[in-house]
Amino acid sequence: MASRKTQPPNRDSKDKYSVLLPTYNERENLPLIVWLLVKYFGESDHDYEIIIIDDGSPDGTQEVAEQLQKIYGKDKILLRPRAKKLGLGTAYIHGMKHATGNFIIIMDADLSHHPKFIPQFIEKQKEGDYDLVSGTRYKGTGGVYGWDLRRKLISRGANFLTQVLLRPGASDLTGSFRLYKKKVLESLVERCVSKGYVFQMEMIVRARQLSYTVGEVPISFVDRVYGESKLGGNEIVSFVKGLLTLFATT
Amino acid sequence: MASGADRTAGMGLVLFSLLLFSYYTVWVIVLPFVDADHVLHRYFLPREFSVILPGVAGVVLLLCIAAFTAVVLLKNHKPKKMD
Repeated sequence: MASRKTQPPNRDSKDKYSVLLPTYNERENLPLIVWLLVKYFGESDHDYEIIIIDDGSPDGTQEVAEQLQKIYGKDKILLRPRAKKLGLGTAYIHGMKHATGNFIIIMDADLSHHPKFIPQFIEKQKEGDYDLVSGTRYKGTGGVYGWDLRRKLISRGANFLTQVLLRPGASDLTGSFRLYKKKVLESLVERCVSKGYVFQMEMIVRARQLSYTVGEVPISFVDRVYGESKLGGNEIVSFVKGLLTLFATT
Repeated sequence: MASGADRTAGMGLVLFSLLLFSYYTVWVIVLPFVDADHVLHRYFLPREFSVILPGVAGVVLLLCIAAFTAVVLLKNHKPKKMD
């Protein structure tokens, strides 16, 4: 890494990065992820804000968020809670309404995405003035930690099927660790109709449709150590349904 | 890096595919040019099977996919109706 003395100060560019963190029962992970975000943004000297969109978590996530706000300041931590669990797409829309940055970063709040990759996303975006930068688990040094063989095979199989049917020009379609230009995210979210995994896929497919440029950065995805993110027959069938719908409609 | 066991399983899959592919290639492309009394023919089934076997495998695969989908969808509808 080049030393700060020889690099031009990043503050000169008027770019500001808004991180959207949709949370549900992330009381324990939230302080960690905020601390990591503050650390990496601080080190790379980019202007940022963190928008926490809590969907009425019963475990007290909202109180933790308020305490974090006292520690880091209301200009850095914004709270945009909602009454109940309403879904990712609407969480993005809700969060974006009050975002003051010209770039939006979306990621998981459960520590499966590590903020250390964010400076790499930013660098990549500047490299080619990409409209969106996607964190990929399937290229370069990207990968997953914590999945068993069955889960990995299913993931690779799904990705292969997707590549064959949609030819998306991106190696990881279901990933949700991404950097968007704000107006790009706005125009994509209003066009997307699907939910869940398929929503993330549809975003990239629509981005290609609208001729937006997509850059990729390899990331490591660390699966939750605790939690029930199992992949059952249900998810597989709804994924295939979504994939076929996208295939037929785009 | 993936765990040792996973990498072994992966290499096993690759090896199996390579063997299957080579066997099939020799069977379909090389054997027609080899004399009928050559000993090589003993290691390969009669030629009809080179079409029948993949055909049957394809049908079985489609049936499995259909069965899987049916089971999942049925499981979905059952609790909904019982409510």
